[in-house]
Amino acid sequence: MNAFFNFLEKVLLPPMTKLSEQRHLRAIRDGIIATIPLIIVGSFFLIIAFPPVPALAALVKPSILKILFPYRLSMGIMALYASFGIGYNLSKSYKLDPLAGGMLAMASFLLTNLPISTKDHGWVIALENLGGAGMFVAIIMSIFAVEVLRFAKQKNLTIKMPKEVPQSVANSFAALIPAAFIMFTVWIVRDMLNFNIQEFIMDIFKPLVTAGNTLPGVLIPILLVTLLWSCGIHGDSIVGTVARPIWLTLLDGNLAAQAAGKALPNIAPEPFFQWFVWIGGSGTTIGLVLLMLFSKSKYLKELGKASIVPGICNINEPVIFGAPIMLNPLFMIPFIVGPLVCGTITYFAMYFHMVARPYILPPWTLPAPIGAYLATGGDWKAIILVLINVAITTVIYYPFFKAYEKKLIKEGLEAEQAEAQVTA
Amino acid sequence: MKVLMVCSGGMSSAIVVKAIKQEADKKDFPLEIKAVGTGEFEDELKVGGYDLAIVAPQVKHRMSVFEEAAKSVNVPVELIVPMGYTPIGAPKVLEQIKKYSK
Repeated sequence: MNAFFNFLEKVLLPPMTKLSEQRHLRAIRDGIIATIPLIIVGSFFLIIAFPPVPALAALVKPSILKILFPYRLSMGIMALYASFGIGYNLSKSYKLDPLAGGMLAMASFLLTNLPISTKDHGWVIALENLGGAGMFVAIIMSIFAVEVLRFAKQKNLTIKMPKEVPQSVANSFAALIPAAFIMFTVWIVRDMLNFNIQEFIMDIFKPLVTAGNTLPGVLIPILLVTLLWSCGIHGDSIVGTVARPIWLTLLDGNLAAQAAGKALPNIAPEPFFQWFVWIGGSGTTIGLVLLMLFSKSKYLKELGKASIVPGICNINEPVIFGAPIMLNPLFMIPFIVGPLVCGTITYFAMYFHMVARPYILPPWTLPAPIGAYLATGGDWKAIILVLINVAITTVIYYPFFKAYEKKLIKEGLEAEQAEAQVTA
Repeated sequence: MKVLMVCSGGMSSAIVVKAIKQEADKKDFPLEIKAVGTGEFEDELKVGGYDLAIVAPQVKHRMSVFEEAAKSVNVPVELIVPMGYTPIGAPKVLEQIKKYSK
């Protein structure tokens, strides 16, 4: 078992952590995470528009279009917000003016759109392209914009202002040449050569998004997250760096379908993992904490008491580091197997439409049954599924918990005996 | 003594920070402690006038980034022992903090 942990720490950890520390990926992660409040609140307008109670649903039906406007202008155009966030964070990491970086990123993303003139409403652009579907376009265009900014700065291709000019004014002139380069380049490619940048980038990333919605696409992130946490490393934040854009694209697909009154196409957007797999935190540890509450080992019982409230809010660092689960060969097995089983059960339950698919993003610190209920737009069967998953993982943890408890009690007794001998 | 703790999102560390503060009060150790996520760490460290930065175990892979940020403002960095990163492990972390008190 030690050889296995050595293997994890030497072979799996370095490339994974290096990946998550990669400058562009970090900017993408931080930029997208900045949009989460808008996504959470925005997606809740769909619950208002489609309440789970039939009487309420009938009542709001005539106003659905109006109720959905805040959703359309928040979650519905999240790629636009993300482009600013990514540009901001990437330029910050390069120690460039973050505001200029965010602006240029947003402009280069917007420029990939073709505005259309309409008789009634003047010039419009399709909101769809600014939403989750355009996420990867936003990512690529934002990186392009900031790299141009950086190149210009490196080669000193900026307009210098005299010292007396205020810093904010000087900053805006510093971005003049990069702005010109970005706007001309995107304009020529998109409008003059009529090359559809958006379609091109979307096609490149389509296989990734499709793969994220398959059973292996669900199980591989679960396996990686639990393996990383087994080494005591924040698995979610590392795997999420790469997977979050995919999860959000899947979420957007479901939201758009729901808003249009169609069947939800995707199984595995982020709430799938949050509410049906990571119940009580990564590794589905809520069952383990429940077992601890009734433990004969004083230490485990005390830790259980300290961990139950955070656990209900899906925070489980106290268990992972306290039990500990990390680098503990006994707990590592249920910690990995449990979530894989939950992922598989949930996948099939949603594949066969036994439980509604998630399309809302409730805040992750809610208790899992409530979060699952909200995430599926109010399907009570989601609560049942969560409880089944908790029961199954508790059973999976049980034999390992018992073995560990026995070991702790034995060690505890020995420690007491040794102490007694010393004092005697 | 003024201490800054960093974890991934600043959520789990908030729990631990509370326990450490209670432990310090119990031992009459003057301690001002705050928790932040990795994103805010550098900025907070620059303006806060901290004596010590402590790092949650689950973000130890970013240690070099934290060390670099702390070096520029001359603040020592300590990695929290894993078993200390729980509400009942607070005495362990307080011992780690005390090592740096002048």
